[in-house]
Amino acid sequence: MPPIVTCRGLSKTFGKGELAVHALRDADLDIMPGDIATLAGPSGSGKTTLLNMIGALDEPTSGEVSVDGQPLSGLSRSQLSDLRLSKIGFVFQSYNLIPVLSARENIEFVLQLQGVSAAERRDRAMNAIKEVGLSGMEDRRPGKMSGGQQQRVAVARALVSRPKIVLADEPTANLDSKNALELVDLMRNLNREHGTTFLIGTHDIRVMEHSMRHIEMVDGRIDSDARSSG
Amino acid sequence: MIDGLKTMLPLAWRNLWRNPRRTGITLIVVAIGLWSILFFNAFMTAWAKSSKETTLQLLLGSGQIHAEGFMDDPSIETLMDPPDQDLASALDAPAVADWTTRVVVPGVVQSEYKTLPATIVGVDPVAEARISSIPDRIAEGRYLSGSDDDSVVLGLHMVERLKTGLGRRVILMSQNAEGAMSEQSFDVVGIYDADKATEDLYVFTGRAASQRFLGLEGEIAQVVFVLQEDTALEDAVAALADAAPALDVRGWKELNLFLASMDSYMGVFVQVWLGIVFSLMAIGIVNTQLMAVFERTQEFGLLRALGMKPRRVLFMVTIENALLIGTGVLLGMVLAAVTIWSLSDGIDFSAFARAMEMVQTGEIIYLDFEPGAFILFPGLIWLLGILVTLWPARRASRCRPVEAMRRET
Ligand SMILES: Nc1ncnc2c1ncn2[C@@H]1O[C@H](COP(=O)(O)OP(=O)(O)OP(=O)(O)O)[C@@H](O)[C@H]1O
Ligand SMILES: [Mg+2]
Repeated sequence: MPPIVTCRGLSKTFGKGELAVHALRDADLDIMPGDIATLAGPSGSGKTTLLNMIGALDEPTSGEVSVDGQPLSGLSRSQLSDLRLSKIGFVFQSYNLIPVLSARENIEFVLQLQGVSAAERRDRAMNAIKEVGLSGMEDRRPGKMSGGQQQRVAVARALVSRPKIVLADEPTANLDSKNALELVDLMRNLNREHGTTFLIGTHDIRVMEHSMRHIEMVDGRIDSDARSSG
Repeated sequence: MIDGLKTMLPLAWRNLWRNPRRTGITLIVVAIGLWSILFFNAFMTAWAKSSKETTLQLLLGSGQIHAEGFMDDPSIETLMDPPDQDLASALDAPAVADWTTRVVVPGVVQSEYKTLPATIVGVDPVAEARISSIPDRIAEGRYLSGSDDDSVVLGLHMVERLKTGLGRRVILMSQNAEGAMSEQSFDVVGIYDADKATEDLYVFTGRAASQRFLGLEGEIAQVVFVLQEDTALEDAVAALADAAPALDVRGWKELNLFLASMDSYMGVFVQVWLGIVFSLMAIGIVNTQLMAVFERTQEFGLLRALGMKPRRVLFMVTIENALLIGTGVLLGMVLAAVTIWSLSDGIDFSAFARAMEMVQTGEIIYLDFEPGAFILFPGLIWLLGILVTLWPARRASRCRPVEAMRRET
């Protein structure tokens, strides 16, 4: 099977001259379908930067990213939007739900952007809510939910559009131990049952322990890349 | 797009109330701005209408008929005969509400203290009362009792300047029909109260009395007529001109050019006011909306990260702005309607009008609820408002998707 994500010679430099920060230096990476991979490394090693490049949120200074066989360079802002919408799910550290929408509406939102019919939207959103264990909370707004619950909604939102890969940056950083473990379990189960591919940037040992593949970054480079039985 | 609108409207509406303070400020700015425009427009329209009516009612009438040449050189040489059969029947047409004739000659009025230039007007008091408001504006004494009444009614200000008063006598002087000067003393029986310019100019006496004084044999200076409907002015003037081809028939618009241009001036005033108010409004709205976009950078970044296209973000923010400004516009309309209705009993301007020496302004101004203005101005403000908020909306659509990844620290 071809990889879902390939990065070749990926570099990202912020700023210029004396102030230039080389956040990524010549990184190569393939993510295979069904992977649940963690991206670890010291603070400032380039995890977020790499995730941003893969997620088509930011442009590399040099090198190439392809998602599902599609090279990102040369795509317009609008084409990149479409690619994110159809192929990539995001889970952010700070939940990042739309505060004025209920849990279900937040999840339906991406489906609506995809042009899915109202009836199907509702079905799929309700399913996703069940899947992340939030049945009965679908009408709550983010402000009325705990951090763990909000992060589950974010996971449901990332999954409901059936993306090729879910990118998560420090998804457990704002969660307590119990909620963090539950979230890891959730991702693990989704990976097992639906083969959802995850790439998770994290410092969290609990997350790393449950991953099948462990990528270590140092100073903008991929330092090690190891598979374990999980 | 329709489906998009259906789901975006509730989202936009809820977003509006996320920052009640900012929304409130924008609503107030729009509402007060629109209110001031609608109120100013109603006030100016009412004022123009009232000025026009007051001036027409004072002496002008809907129009006047003179001998050729009188308008250029009003004197004893340019008088006319009273209306003949043809003209009289044209003046009795249904479109004409009333008419009368006057003697009008330039002259001089003299008291023990002072001699002042004046226009001597000889009137038939009964007919005059149906056409002019001056018989109703007697501040002291009485109006003339008949065409033969050889006393005078003077304006308040002229009485002050002449240092004369009721029961005193003044001397009128004017060139007579023979080309010599006539001079005669008249009893002051009444003092009228109009605007200063009128008071300083016109001295009234009986029509027949003035003809005797000037040695005339029934000649008059003018026919004044009042129409049932002002909209029929052009037609009526044409019909009268047909009936009296040798005479000079003019409607009020030709007699008082200032008054005629008043309507269009009012339109310009309102437009200038609209421009000023809208500029201030635009600055306020654009500022608050730019601030809002700045605060919501991460949120717009999130929408972009989730796959919303820039165009769609622009659309969403524009819907929000349309709702916001639309709500402010509705508020402003209600506010203006309430104000106008509550003042529809009239605003008393008598003190103000006198102090400002206004051009024969009505003393009480009646505001009218004008449906056309309540469609035009709100619509204009709404559209222009949406137009200026396209700038902040474009900013929002330009938010970079990486902003979504920004950590909250
Ligand atoms: N927008 C930016 N402008 C300038 N420098 C940046 C920017 N974003 C990241 N950097 C720098 O790039 C380097 C890599 O940052 P990045 O956020 O990718 O690290 P990270 O591994 O995610 O760190 P952490 O574990 O703290 O999240 C850091 O030195 C950071 O300061
Ligand atoms: Mg990071």
